[in-house]
Amino acid sequence: MTDGRKAISYDPLLLFAVLSLVGFGLVMVFSASAITAQDKLGDSFYFLKRQAVAAGLGLVAMAVAMKLGYRRMARLAYPLLVLAIILLVLVLIPGLGAKVGGAKRWLRLPGLSVQPAEIAKLAWVIYLSYSLAKKREKVQSFSVGFLPHLGVAGLLVILCMLEPDFGSSVALLFLMFVMLFAAGAKLSYLVGSVLAAIPFAWTAIASSAYRMTRITAFLDPWANRRGSGYQVAESLMSIGSGGVTGLGLGDGRQKLFFLPEAHTDFIVSIIGEELGLLGIAALIALYGLIIWRGIRASLHATEAFGTYLGLGITSLVAFQAITNMAVAMGLVPTKGLTLPFISYGGSSLVVLMGAAGLLLSISATAEGGKRRTRVMKARPEPLPPGIGAAA
Amino acid sequence: MRDLKNMQVVEGPSSGMRLRVVLLGAIFLALLAVVFGRAVHLQVHQQEKLKAFAEDQYVRAVEIPARRGDIFDRRGTPLAQSVEVDSVWVDPSLLGDRPAAARALGKALGVDRHELQEKLEKGRRFAWVKRQVTPAEAAKVKALELPGVGFLREPRRFYPQRELAAHVLGLVGTDAHGLDGLEKSFEDELSGERVTREGFRDAKGRKLLTNGVEDPQARQGAALTLTIDRQLQYVTEKALEKAVVDAKAVAGTAVVLDPHTGEVLALANVPRFNPNSPRHASEDALRNRAVTDTFEPGSTFKAFVIATALDEKVITESSEFDCEQGRLAIGRHVVHDTHPYGLLKPRGILQVSSNICAAKVAQKLGRERLVAAYERFGFGERAGLGLPGEGKGALPFPKAEIALATQAFGQGLTATALQLAAGYGALGNGGVLMRPYLVSKVVDPDGLVLLENGPTPVRRVVSEKAARQVVSMLESVVEPGGTAPRARLDEYRVAGKTGTAQKADPLAGGYSDKRIASFIGLVPAEAPKAVILVVIDEPMTDVYGGLVAAPAFKEIAQEAMPLLGVPPSRPGVVAAPALRAPPAKPAKSAVVAAIERLEQLDTVTESQAEGAVRVPDLRGKSGRVAVNALMGVALEPQLSGSGLVASQRPAAGTLVDRGTRISLQLAGPLPLGTP
Repeated sequence: MTDGRKAISYDPLLLFAVLSLVGFGLVMVFSASAITAQDKLGDSFYFLKRQAVAAGLGLVAMAVAMKLGYRRMARLAYPLLVLAIILLVLVLIPGLGAKVGGAKRWLRLPGLSVQPAEIAKLAWVIYLSYSLAKKREKVQSFSVGFLPHLGVAGLLVILCMLEPDFGSSVALLFLMFVMLFAAGAKLSYLVGSVLAAIPFAWTAIASSAYRMTRITAFLDPWANRRGSGYQVAESLMSIGSGGVTGLGLGDGRQKLFFLPEAHTDFIVSIIGEELGLLGIAALIALYGLIIWRGIRASLHATEAFGTYLGLGITSLVAFQAITNMAVAMGLVPTKGLTLPFISYGGSSLVVLMGAAGLLLSISATAEGGKRRTRVMKARPEPLPPGIGAAA
Repeated sequence: MRDLKNMQVVEGPSSGMRLRVVLLGAIFLALLAVVFGRAVHLQVHQQEKLKAFAEDQYVRAVEIPARRGDIFDRRGTPLAQSVEVDSVWVDPSLLGDRPAAARALGKALGVDRHELQEKLEKGRRFAWVKRQVTPAEAAKVKALELPGVGFLREPRRFYPQRELAAHVLGLVGTDAHGLDGLEKSFEDELSGERVTREGFRDAKGRKLLTNGVEDPQARQGAALTLTIDRQLQYVTEKALEKAVVDAKAVAGTAVVLDPHTGEVLALANVPRFNPNSPRHASEDALRNRAVTDTFEPGSTFKAFVIATALDEKVITESSEFDCEQGRLAIGRHVVHDTHPYGLLKPRGILQVSSNICAAKVAQKLGRERLVAAYERFGFGERAGLGLPGEGKGALPFPKAEIALATQAFGQGLTATALQLAAGYGALGNGGVLMRPYLVSKVVDPDGLVLLENGPTPVRRVVSEKAARQVVSMLESVVEPGGTAPRARLDEYRVAGKTGTAQKADPLAGGYSDKRIASFIGLVPAEAPKAVILVVIDEPMTDVYGGLVAAPAFKEIAQEAMPLLGVPPSRPGVVAAPALRAPPAKPAKSAVVAAIERLEQLDTVTESQAEGAVRVPDLRGKSGRVAVNALMGVALEPQLSGSGLVASQRPAAGTLVDRGTRISLQLAGPLPLGTP
């Protein structure tokens, strides 16, 4: 890989993890959705077909991102942010945004529907990376490093909350904190703004009946088993009945209409039921691999933009994966975030695969230098032994 | 690459930033580890609990009993069958407006609305609305198109012969458990192997039999073949019912046994009930009196006394006894005869049924030998038919002189009708008590014979000679001068005995003026092929067995002899009791449709009028019209199939007795006229 042609060498482990997750996702989407699809649409392959098309588009997006290289994104940071804001506004306009389950999250275009929030998350990461890399030391200052980002974040969050999309809002804010923290923003600002946000968050939760029931459902899913806790209770039953080895692929019973959104937000429940603890372990190992290799690529990046972007994309995947699984296992209240690369949903898959392409491009740039490797060795990463072994 | 790198003016991340990035990565991995820990907790530690919760919602609801085995008569006519009918259930969580749904369902199914609503509120994801509905009710519910309402095919017990032998067959509850009769005593065999049926249902409640789960319908219980003869049973029930009605009695019992084998050929009780709709039956009508009820048998016991005395050589055929002109004082008590008699030989004692002389024979025999004889004849112990609640009777030792006297004519002790018939069977077959039995064979669906009953001798009770002598003496009972000339048959010799017992008054102690009249006979007397016992409880018109019970005996015997293939005892007399063709057995597919109609009919009560009627032409008429037409002229309809009457038997215009069963074959609902 260090031949004269200076061949671009992408991190094979990262590539393996992403492609494995996408393939695994296709299998699980089919298993989880076949019966519902047959029942509602008369075509058991309906969701699989659509997801396969999305995966194809995702591969193209990934290849394009790898080919172009992440550095081009610096120039696209503002246009992408503006595009995301426009899309988030458009989705709110009646007639353009499709209302599903009480929320306008889909922008219906001829032939496909797009979830602007998914695009916004990546655009937000790219923008932050660009902005933080550009500002360097000024990040420490409140007016230059903190306030403008908070302002843009506020705008995006407000637009998301109008849909409403609580999960994406939390993701956007989380990404901001992670990146600001990495950039060296004063902890007092971060902690202070979190404290300041608590009353707003509470108002947002308490003002909406469904968010409130999500909280009560989370606190005691069994007491609300027939009502608000239904999803979580069914999800816990799914995962629990899988045991260590699972019931076997395709043999899950909870997807037989007991568990709503079995192929989207609660797909991990079906994985747990059909493939058991082993399936969950494989899933977690793949995400662990992405985090490990993503952080590694980020550290090896030759300039700050790459570091920030690598961290941002890794954080985006990690946050969604951890939150989604934690929701399905009853650890945190229901959010409405997809399981990256696995859940059914075209926008999410294409955007995340594009993002993975950028991450791979960062990893490729990072190849070669022996110095970095030494640095890596000097500062061993605190990997849990299980994950390290699995990776 | 090279030029891109040159564009970069900044170098890699600072060491502080590296540290923070690594820290963030570590936090993510730690959180993943937490998620994994949670998965271990759920899938290893809580697996059993969560799995149980999950299975609770889809496994329980599809518990369907296996198909119950059929019950056949000795000729293979089905007496009890299982058919599949719909049961309606609901997933209350899918119902929108529960009160409205409860109202609509209640109206369609005739279920109490409030009760139903309570069930809907209580039921979590599954509640029965009504089990085993009629096809019409099912159609009504389907028309409502309510979400969350589903149907489950459940086997239901159906008795194609309706009241026929209902007391023998018994009852099955909604959950397919035998509640009475053979259905109860052969519960394990009929219900079959109760395999765990892991059928699954989805959240919409549809039945899914995945994972190669055995279809519960494929399992079937064992089939029972009875010793009952459907035709004879029918005749017996009709005759008994007529006798009970004629005598304005409260109840009646009849038993027909084969004296040589102990097979129960017919076992009837009145009042009857229709096992297809047992809810309409009173507790009283459900009782199998012949087996469960014990009563003081009265004079029918004298035959046992004489037989034993002859056997023990205490008396001979020519011993004479003084019947004291109808009045004998024993201590403070006085024993009466209905008519005053002087000297009587044993034959005469039985012929006129003298209590006094029977008492004297018993006195000669002595207490011990009398009680021992009764015990040998099977009294005081269960006959062992295998039906639930079988009575055993009481045989108290006659300490007092008067008790010895009364026990000689069957008072002061009790027995069941079945025991009495079995005792006479022993006289009829030459002195051996046979164990009566009702079930000849139990065969499982694979053809494996689980149980086979055959003639079982219990013990010899009297010598063959004594038995023959008594049977011969008993022939005089139906001759002029005997107590039951009405039991005489033209073609067959009858040996019989009347019984007219006082009923004990449980409240006052002592005896009431209520009677139990009975007649038991052996036909043909020269080589008995049947023991026929008729017991009439509390007759109001006449009280004597010879008057009340003997005619029913005669009717049964007349039909039984040709059925059993017995040649007439007295050739020359033309015997032509028209053998009624057994009604066609209803086709299984048509059975469901027939249930509804059958349930709406009451027990067919026959018109009292004697005489024959012509069978009306019913072809092309609807089932209901045909039924009404037949009942109007006191004929009994027997329907099979559905739609319009395609054929009937006997043919239109045939002259038949009232009460004759007319078989109607219904077919196709097309009203296009008959060809």
